[in-house]
Amino acid sequence: MKFTSRPAAAIMSLSLAAAVLAGCTEQAGGEDTAAGSSSCESKDVRLVGQVRNESNPYEASWLAGGDAFAQSVGLKQERLTYDGDSTKQQEQISQILAGNTKCLVMNVLPNGDADTPPIVKGADQAGAYLVTQWNKPADLKPADHKTWLSHITYNGIESGQQIGDALSEAIGGNGGIIALQGVLDTAAAKDRFAGLEASLKKNTGVKLLDQQTANFSRAEALTVTKTLLTKHGDNVKGIWAANDDMALGALEALQQAGKAGKVAVVGIDAVPDAVSAVQGGTMTATVSSDGTWQGGIGLAIGYCVATGKLKVEDIAADNRAFFAKQFLITKSNAAEFAAPKTNPSDFECANVFNRVAGPLT
Amino acid sequence: MTNEVVAAPRRSSRRGASFRDAGPPVALVVIFAVFAALSPQFRSVENVQNIVDAAAVLAVVTCGITFVLMMGSIDLSAAGVMGASALTVSLLVANNRNDNDFGLLGILVAVLLGCAFGCLSGLALVLLKVPSFMATLGVSAVGLGVATLMFAGVQPNITDAMLESWAVERFLGFSYLTWIAVACIVVGWLIQRYTRLGRYAFAIGGAEEVLTLSGVKVKPYKVAVFTLAGAFYGLGGVMVTSQLGAGLVQAGDGYDFSAITAAVVGGTLLTGGRGGILHSAVGVVLVMVLTNGLVQVGVSPYWQGGVEGLIVVAAVAAAVIPQRRRNQVVK
Repeated sequence: MKFTSRPAAAIMSLSLAAAVLAGCTEQAGGEDTAAGSSSCESKDVRLVGQVRNESNPYEASWLAGGDAFAQSVGLKQERLTYDGDSTKQQEQISQILAGNTKCLVMNVLPNGDADTPPIVKGADQAGAYLVTQWNKPADLKPADHKTWLSHITYNGIESGQQIGDALSEAIGGNGGIIALQGVLDTAAAKDRFAGLEASLKKNTGVKLLDQQTANFSRAEALTVTKTLLTKHGDNVKGIWAANDDMALGALEALQQAGKAGKVAVVGIDAVPDAVSAVQGGTMTATVSSDGTWQGGIGLAIGYCVATGKLKVEDIAADNRAFFAKQFLITKSNAAEFAAPKTNPSDFECANVFNRVAGPLT
Repeated sequence: MTNEVVAAPRRSSRRGASFRDAGPPVALVVIFAVFAALSPQFRSVENVQNIVDAAAVLAVVTCGITFVLMMGSIDLSAAGVMGASALTVSLLVANNRNDNDFGLLGILVAVLLGCAFGCLSGLALVLLKVPSFMATLGVSAVGLGVATLMFAGVQPNITDAMLESWAVERFLGFSYLTWIAVACIVVGWLIQRYTRLGRYAFAIGGAEEVLTLSGVKVKPYKVAVFTLAGAFYGLGGVMVTSQLGAGLVQAGDGYDFSAITAAVVGGTLLTGGRGGILHSAVGVVLVMVLTNGLVQVGVSPYWQGGVEGLIVVAAVAAAVIPQRRRNQVVK
């Protein structure tokens, strides 16, 4: 008896604590909901930013950007993280939508393509303003919805090609390279590699010696690169990595093999370590999607519509789903990206679509 | 490839202890020979060094997990404990986030943190009666949480010369990390062979009831085994940090299952009471030879995962066929 009561008591006290906490958060709600007319007082707008986790620099900078925007309009961003767990993401969204949704603005990074439809459906029913980024099924379009304002993503083919070109330039347009691919069944990995293939078609002197997957992971990239270096030896003049984490792993491998500085390395994402590596000359190039901007812009678009400064009907069709501008970072401009910060003018209602690079087709 | 693998254990008799243990080493030799025949780069000295170096971290983690498996429990906490220890060590030695420069002391603290997490798993198991599967999964989540808190949005890069040199400097052709792993295997083997902790871990896995009936208090030993395992994971986290030059929350990603795979491939049973450190060491090398060899012979990355899985299943099957009669591994 003694033994069974202890865990029971523990569980009860835990759930009690959880209930109290939940009570606290729900107080934030307040007034009644009457969805429809879109003119909220600025102070009534509720800003929510949701990403996978705060344990990688990119998503941490995303949330920091959201905070910066919220602060600029005198509000506070609610930060949600779901640990890359689709179920958890949906639970968080339905919890948020169960509260007061009248002036709710959500800037969401869906875990995968399949996670977007239920989020869109929930937001639509609740009349909450939603901006999604990166992942959505091709046939689901914001233009068909009232409160799903925009979907922002980046052209992986373009970035894969940009760094491919930068790499072949760095090795003088001639020689062998190896490629580290991401998780093979993701769109990002496929597009970026397609970009490399396009670049190789253009730069005929460059030869792809080998391509392996390192699953976007720094540790795996280290092992795979070491193996490929023993396989191809001095023929490897450059390393193309589908993200910066793998590029940084490759840099470690080069150092351990005593080849630091002799092989050019490129990546994508512009994580802080990679930017400083580019600045220091150990890495050749990376591509930035500007995570702080992503974190702010979704909230800014929603805020502008919620406060009536921007009308949903007035948003051009091409701006409802678009590729945003991305930046190739080389040694010449790395210093600008070394300290990521938001530019308040990017988030002004007239400028929120300034970075549209092309419609998402 | 499969027919060579199953050839080895077929001649093992019901009793012969040496035959029973011969499966994994024979599988290792066969797989190595096949790759060596297929690829001249694979059999180069440089690549053998590369394989052994790459196996270092997995070997240390597997040392820890082996003790838990011998006891018949399971431990899924490696990923979280390694993450927490990686962040801890990277923030305590010279780094770009703060002015700490504790050197060896920082490494010691990280290993002790690993011990603490292991102890937590053990206590949850014996005091709260949480099955080890759940207890360690929970501890892993706690470890990742602690690591994320310490991470705080900025990656700590280490500048500590000693810790960085572990992955780069070489002694007799192998990196310092490899020698650390070898030391761990030796220490692990000594603990397993000559201390009460090691002997009881075996006995708990073999027949816990008998041990309890003969008056041995098993609970403290269970906690001690988990604590020991935690120390190995903590050291593993430190080693990953040395390799990557940075403290990553994801430092231990995948190591929990790779280590269990390596231990089982090497002949340590999930039911406990069989196997040991040396078996697991063979398993680790076997797994590393496999991942390296598939790249060296040029198997397409789209096929590798599947092919690797098939070979692992075949190797385990080869290792356990002699033990099937014992009615222990078929569940």
